[in-house]
Amino acid sequence: MKRRNFLKNLCAVSALATVATPSMVMGKDAPKQKPKGVNAMSYDSALNAITGGKPVADSPKVSLTVPEIAENGAVVPVKVNVDHPMEENNYVKAIHILTTKNGNARAADVMLTPMNGKGYFATRIKLGSTQDVVAVVELSDGTFIKASKSVKVTIGGCG
Amino acid sequence: MPAEARKSMIKIKPKKYKTGDIVKVDFIVIHPMDTGLKKDKKTGEVIPAKYIDSITFKLDGKPFTTMKVWETVSTNPYFSVNLKVPGKGKITVEYTDNTGEKNSKSKKLKPKD
Repeated sequence: MKRRNFLKNLCAVSALATVATPSMVMGKDAPKQKPKGVNAMSYDSALNAITGGKPVADSPKVSLTVPEIAENGAVVPVKVNVDHPMEENNYVKAIHILTTKNGNARAADVMLTPMNGKGYFATRIKLGSTQDVVAVVELSDGTFIKASKSVKVTIGGCG
Repeated sequence: MPAEARKSMIKIKPKKYKTGDIVKVDFIVIHPMDTGLKKDKKTGEVIPAKYIDSITFKLDGKPFTTMKVWETVSTNPYFSVNLKVPGKGKITVEYTDNTGEKNSKSKKLKPKD
């Protein structure tokens, strides 16, 4: 009896294990399993919050400068230049810096005015892993353009 | 760190500029920018989130750039924007963090004509 019970239990455990493994593997990829910060937001929902569902086209007007390989993910310099006039009624309204795989996808929203003279913004951000950095630019006529570049991260910066 | 002791700096590049020139205004502040995910190595306790969440660049009291910032920005952050010099004035940068700490830094704008 003992042996039978033991085998029964073993079967139950292995069955559980087989059921559990795929969900656990999926859970590893899903961001829900990771510890999240106070402002956890996925890339898609962040992009949606910025554009309100409007289409965002890749544009050569936006030049995004990031290093191809970042040895230290804690300090990744990001520079955005927008080739667009800065006049009273036609200017770069905002530059948004986003990341695709960080716990919180949003890094900075910069609201510009014609007083700036040029659509330019530079800062340094943290990257947890190898991912894309995206610059979404809003023009004063309500259209959105973007540029994205991949950054290889050797040591993650969000620990 | 008490609010008064936080170090910050405004740099205008290039150093010599004229009215009508487009200059870079760099703002650097010593701030931990904690994400709320990191643990203290000695005690094992999670360091609470502390990051700058809004910055306003003003020229003579009139805001020309406003920013919303999240914890993704690096420790001791640096922000750089452009400004078309309209003449003499005073640049003020005001910033607040998520714990409500407020601070500001000013620098005079002196174009050499």
